[in-house]
Amino acid sequence: MSIIVQTEQLTKTFQKQQAVDHVDMVIREGEIYGFLGPNGAGKTTTIRMLLGLMKPTSGTVRIFGKELQKHKLDILRQVGSLVENPSYYPHLTAYENLNVVREIVGVPHKRISEVLETVRLTEAAHRKVKGFSLGMKQRLGIAAALLHQPKLLVLDEPTNGLDPSGIIEIRELIKSLPQQYGMTVLISSHLLSEIDQIATAVGVVSRGKLIYQDQMSNLRKLARSTIRIQCSEPGKAVAALKQLELAAAHEQEQLILENCSNRSVADAVSLLVHQGHDIYRVEENKQSLEQIFLSMTDGVSL
Amino acid sequence: MLSQLLRSEWMKIKRKGLWFLTVLGPLGVVGLTMVNYGVRKDYLLSLSDDDWAIYLDNILSLTPLALVLGIVILTSMMASIENQTNAWKQWLALPVSRSSVYLSKYVIATTLLFVSSIILGIGTTLYGLTLGLGDDIPWLRIMQVSFYPWLASQALIAFHLWVAVANNNQGITVSIGVVGVILTFMAFFLPDWFLWKWPTLANDWNNPFINIVLGISAGLLLFIAGMWHFCRKDVS
Repeated sequence: MSIIVQTEQLTKTFQKQQAVDHVDMVIREGEIYGFLGPNGAGKTTTIRMLLGLMKPTSGTVRIFGKELQKHKLDILRQVGSLVENPSYYPHLTAYENLNVVREIVGVPHKRISEVLETVRLTEAAHRKVKGFSLGMKQRLGIAAALLHQPKLLVLDEPTNGLDPSGIIEIRELIKSLPQQYGMTVLISSHLLSEIDQIATAVGVVSRGKLIYQDQMSNLRKLARSTIRIQCSEPGKAVAALKQLELAAAHEQEQLILENCSNRSVADAVSLLVHQGHDIYRVEENKQSLEQIFLSMTDGVSL
Repeated sequence: MLSQLLRSEWMKIKRKGLWFLTVLGPLGVVGLTMVNYGVRKDYLLSLSDDDWAIYLDNILSLTPLALVLGIVILTSMMASIENQTNAWKQWLALPVSRSSVYLSKYVIATTLLFVSSIILGIGTTLYGLTLGLGDDIPWLRIMQVSFYPWLASQALIAFHLWVAVANNNQGITVSIGVVGVILTFMAFFLPDWFLWKWPTLANDWNNPFINIVLGISAGLLLFIAGMWHFCRKDVS
């Protein structure tokens, strides 16, 4: 898979405060890259630099293999974006808002109807955007970003402020984009659950630094599972389990087994029962992604 | 690129009352002159043998005020269309060069004011004719009164566009504009190099052409400075 977005040591400093701190981001073709971090971690600033809205203090941005500073217009022709709150002209209708953008990106009029259909705003096409709900405005913003069928779609917190049904709708829409149109998507969010459900790759940013970047599936593997067995005389039980070469620990009247297979759990329980231990409870504890992130971001919740 | 941008910009100013203001300004100037002549026509006609000259001087005394006020309001409204929902971030993430975006805003502002000047010329001629100021219509002087202030105002357009685009808070823009209108009102007492004096076409040499040259050349410098700033500005 070719690399669509690559930043090298990307840094932005505002009056001595490093908003983005030497970020090396890599987004590959066809990925939905979840850019995750607490509010104020530097997500929006990074995205603004990717779109040429802000100049980096140092470092470089390469998109489609070209350097952004030198080929900005060429690159932006293939990028669609929705940055933070939706931007629109409230005194114009949805159709007119898209027409204003259409003139610039140079696509035929029929694209407007197509994207309005995609985001399910056809019926509201000729209503002024002033009266739209937040969800409708957000969808209009996505429609504008999709107008010229970009290769890269950059969405900054696209589900912010939406109700649950709106969130699901936008999520399904975004998920369908890579398969349907071959787009690569960068989506930022401060909500782990959001990224967990949508992204195929993930980058975690905290205090301006990219502290983790990998495939989402690899991240899920980090979620360790622990088996806790509550039994009579756990001290003796730990010694007994050594026969099975299982590393068991003893904590608060419980046996703790880490990362074991179903077979090992069955063997352990069977052995303990044979040796006359009473088993009261067998529980699996999975460290949630939430906990992993909390530890990554030094306790700043997502 | 510029023609696409201009088409978009014309669409954006729809329903914002900019065209209404464009028409209101010159009609206001002619309307106030109507009131003036309605109240004291005999006195005004007795001032000189050249009634057209007196009439056009009256028009010219009001035009700069309307023009400066128009520049302030139009540029501020154009910037507020983008500022309202911070549409700059969407607009400037499109494949457009920032210098073209800035130029398109300037072209819209100056074109609207040019249309105002045309309406002023037509209104001035028509009302002049109804007043019966004589058959010898001074066409050249009418053209000068209608379009010279606009030409001399290019520096003010560039200045106010810069101020409006650089400030998210249009309160600052309008405050500066109000001070400008007051300065224009007192133009007679201002030195010749003062921007706000130029639309009045007055100067020590009694040559309005100097104001036009100043207006256009300073306008070009202010435009380049504003564009330079706009191109380097971080969009928040």
